[in-house]
Amino acid sequence: MKIELFYSPGCTQCAAARDGLKAAARQAVAEVDWRELNVLDEIDYAVELGILSLPAIAIDGELAFASLPTPRQLRTALTQRVQRKA
Amino acid sequence: MLTIGKLAGLAAVSADTLRYYEREGLIAPTTKSDGGYRLYGKDAIVRIRFIRQAQHCGFTLTEIRELLALRNRRAACCGDVRKLAVEKKLQLEGKIKAMKLMSHALDRLIADCTEEQHPVEECPILSALEQVDASARPD
Repeated sequence: MKIELFYSPGCTQCAAARDGLKAAARQAVAEVDWRELNVLDEIDYAVELGILSLPAIAIDGELAFASLPTPRQLRTALTQRVQRKA
Repeated sequence: MLTIGKLAGLAAVSADTLRYYEREGLIAPTTKSDGGYRLYGKDAIVRIRFIRQAQHCGFTLTEIRELLALRNRRAACCGDVRKLAVEKKLQLEGKIKAMKLMSHALDRLIADCTEEQHPVEECPILSALEQVDASARPD
């Protein structure tokens, strides 16, 4: 599963939450392709996904969280996706 | 101290605009004269120029209020302001994308209309717009 964290460089909120979210994702899903994207380098892609605020998280190319979730919220969203796919 | 008229002249805005900014919580008079007239410090000129410039960059008054608050918050850093600017850029790019799609839709309609002398009842542009309207209307 591909998880993309869009961040603005210098965002202290993103840096502080990143490790917790990454760990939560790895707990919920066996194979995680975790990517961290500087929104300024990927502006067209971010606009295509409908990202308007930062930080934001997309799962498998869909905007899943328009603001930073808690690790628990991310874990729940990922688990639900895995169940839907099964 | 500056009266509202004097400040308006120096900042190149109308007195009505200043009253509006005041109602929106963006500026406030430093004091009032004995006659009850608003009086502003010279720093108000810089503040109003800031507001105007931010408006030109597409920030709403609510967002400008947030920028002004960040400006005065000791714990805030440049990254906080940058984040707001990046978010504004995302919004603007989203609007540009939507407007380009609208422009392409108009291109198609314009291309369909090749008979300028046809009566208006046969106009393909109006006809296409009517169809869009009909399909968008809820049953």
